[in-house]
Amino acid sequence: MTPVSAANPAAHPSSPAAPPARASVPKRLLLAYRTEIAIAIAIVLIEVVVSFWSPQALSFGNIANIAQASAPLVLMSLGVLLVVITGGIDLSVGSTFSLTGMIAGLGFSAGVSWPTACLAGLLVGAGVGAVNGGLVTFVGLAPFVVTLITYAVAGSLAFVVTNGHSIAILDPDFWQFNGGSIVPGVVNYLLFCLGFVVLVEIFLRKLVVGRWVYAIGSNDKAARLLGIPVSAIRFSVYVSSGLFAAFASLLSLSYISNSEATSGSSLMLQAIAACVIGGASLFGGTGSAIGAMLGAVMITVIQNGVNLIGINSFWQGSVTGLVICVAVLIDRVAKVRG
Amino acid sequence: MSIDPPFALECLGIEKSYGPTKVLRGSDLRVAGGEIHAFLGGNGAGKSTLIRIVSGSVAADAGTVRVGGAENFDRSAIAVVFQELALLPHLSVAENIDLPNRRSGLGLVRGRESRERAAGVLAMIDSGLAARALDLPVASLDLHERQLVEIARALASGARLVLLDEPTANLTFGESERLFAILRRLAGQGIAIVLVSHRMNEIRAVADVCTILRDGRTVVDRRSLSAISDVEIIEAMGQKAIEHVESDRPEAAARNSADGMLRLTAGSLEVRALPGSIVGLAGPPPGPMDLINVLIGAHASATWRIEFAGSVSAPRNPATAVRSGVGYVSGDRGSKGILASLPILDNIMAGTRVAKRWTFVTRRESVAASEALRRLSIKAPSLDALPQTLSGGTQQKLLIARWLQEPPRILVLEEPTRGVDVGTKREIYEIIRRLTLSGCVVVWWSTEFAELAGLCRTVIAFDHEGRPASVLTGDAVDEVALAHATGMAA
Repeated sequence: MTPVSAANPAAHPSSPAAPPARASVPKRLLLAYRTEIAIAIAIVLIEVVVSFWSPQALSFGNIANIAQASAPLVLMSLGVLLVVITGGIDLSVGSTFSLTGMIAGLGFSAGVSWPTACLAGLLVGAGVGAVNGGLVTFVGLAPFVVTLITYAVAGSLAFVVTNGHSIAILDPDFWQFNGGSIVPGVVNYLLFCLGFVVLVEIFLRKLVVGRWVYAIGSNDKAARLLGIPVSAIRFSVYVSSGLFAAFASLLSLSYISNSEATSGSSLMLQAIAACVIGGASLFGGTGSAIGAMLGAVMITVIQNGVNLIGINSFWQGSVTGLVICVAVLIDRVAKVRG
Repeated sequence: MSIDPPFALECLGIEKSYGPTKVLRGSDLRVAGGEIHAFLGGNGAGKSTLIRIVSGSVAADAGTVRVGGAENFDRSAIAVVFQELALLPHLSVAENIDLPNRRSGLGLVRGRESRERAAGVLAMIDSGLAARALDLPVASLDLHERQLVEIARALASGARLVLLDEPTANLTFGESERLFAILRRLAGQGIAIVLVSHRMNEIRAVADVCTILRDGRTVVDRRSLSAISDVEIIEAMGQKAIEHVESDRPEAAARNSADGMLRLTAGSLEVRALPGSIVGLAGPPPGPMDLINVLIGAHASATWRIEFAGSVSAPRNPATAVRSGVGYVSGDRGSKGILASLPILDNIMAGTRVAKRWTFVTRRESVAASEALRRLSIKAPSLDALPQTLSGGTQQKLLIARWLQEPPRILVLEEPTRGVDVGTKREIYEIIRRLTLSGCVVVWWSTEFAELAGLCRTVIAFDHEGRPASVLTGDAVDEVALAHATGMAA
């Protein structure tokens, strides 16, 4: 970046035979992010096609709508992504989302300040994540089974805590959490969403611990023998997943202002789908934060498009499924071609 | 050439590309019934690809394959022992040997009959294994036992054509000998056998005819092995002949201090390794693995006591081992070495990142990694490419490169030259020789006694129960002595 890092002749004492050339930075980025670029193009294409039926698809209002609606899913997908890269799966995030909403809602109805209510919600997320991580890492149970259990338990607790009643949230300060602007000119949900995407992307690419997350998903025996702290990392990704689900829930709560026990039930599959569309493999070892974000946006765009065109909303799932199928097939073909 | 009866296997003009890479560019392989046919070539010459095409798991782009003279043949007439083992890990040994050989999936599984058939075949190769492991899941076996099961399955198939891709790579001397006896018997029954091996003495001992592949082309087509010399074979493969490992025998760096000295004790047995020396481990897996696991901090051992640079210590876990300068190259490259979905850059830097507790991935790393690739003459498309773009032998060098950023103080190698061609083998010897000059102690487990005899002045021999049986030093280290000391002498 600066001339200082470029001027490092001591590192090449003699390089007559050129080592494998690294392509220029823009070229490398283009190559590294080709999946993401393809998804971004696909999202634009979908919007353009939808706009034939419904010109308001490309209006500022609708795009802001999509951004707002996809923010919680994006955050949840980031957490799921970390787990998926290690070769695990987190089926509990939807239930965590619901339970967080209900616990925070209880806090509001008990009259605590909104930061306290949020803190309680985040603790719920961390708690569910810690149970998942603990059982997977230290007891050695299969991630699918463990998170299926917490999915069921947290999902039912979300009903138990209020006996199934929804909670209205009437704290105008809390609305600022989502709709206000900490950074002038940037609405908060956008800031949180993009901020976390960038942070996770940098974490995964530029931090050694981030590379270890991939290493564990790629070959956990090799990772262990290399001295990588496999258990600590594996535990942490499940906790992160719980925290992201809780954060997503709070963001959505401050927008909707009403907490229901079923609020997260459709999100878990969408979050996993977002990761897969974004290039993650459920076998572990691959995936990116930007890809997961774009995957989440694409799912939202499809739902929005189905609504705008006026197709019966029962078809949403079919269309989403078709898109996942196409995305995975394209990825497969691209990989076979080398 | 019209010869009857037709060849048992006839591959003509086979071509195959993976993406832009042409692996086979018109290769022929013709094998007659009743012969043991050595199929030779360097790493990446295309041998494994051709075998996959014959087995039907990969489709050729061009060319014809005939078995018994027919292009439409029954795949079940062919049995293949693949290099990367193709077993069903959760099924038992007996099921693995017998089930794939059932013609129809609809028939009833006759448990006892099936088990007995499997037992019979496995006992021909290793009666101990047959008695002990028949009902265990394959996943619980170690690599060399899995290899035996894989071979037993091929032998039990009753196929008229058997292809073995480096079957002895994971076997001990005695096991290889038994395998060869079985192969000779099968050939005597008119069965055609294709054998891929990098071990010249083995090929000479067992095969009749050879075909040599180079860069995807057949350069020597069906030549009798009595009519071709070792040098001709190696030249045909496109490699310079290796004189003798002996001449590469590294001299211990002249340092007499206890600093950097490794002392290993087990009961009354003691080994002192000076900086720059290579300690060989000989014998079947359990023994050497026990010692290796202690050295790399993977397991504790009741047997071994380790003293390094004057202090008694066995690393508590792999992380402490790596940080105290212990490098490790696993013999199980696929499942314990390569990070397959990570780019070459991460694969090379993995060890250093742990050892130095680095936090960030810096640009300095890519400079260091390209330098390492250059130094070990590893040809990689780019640092961002995946390891699978490299051939097996090159991946092996990549794993060694992992430990050369900061020369380790102890480097533990498990069969580092297994399944690599003669040229790469010599490169690996040279890399390790240079490493010993820096004072690194190398611990080298090999099932190839010739290699140990060439490289080491000290060898710990383990018996079949995995106990350290004796220590051979100096001129006492030779192939015959090693075979006796490990109880593998025929």
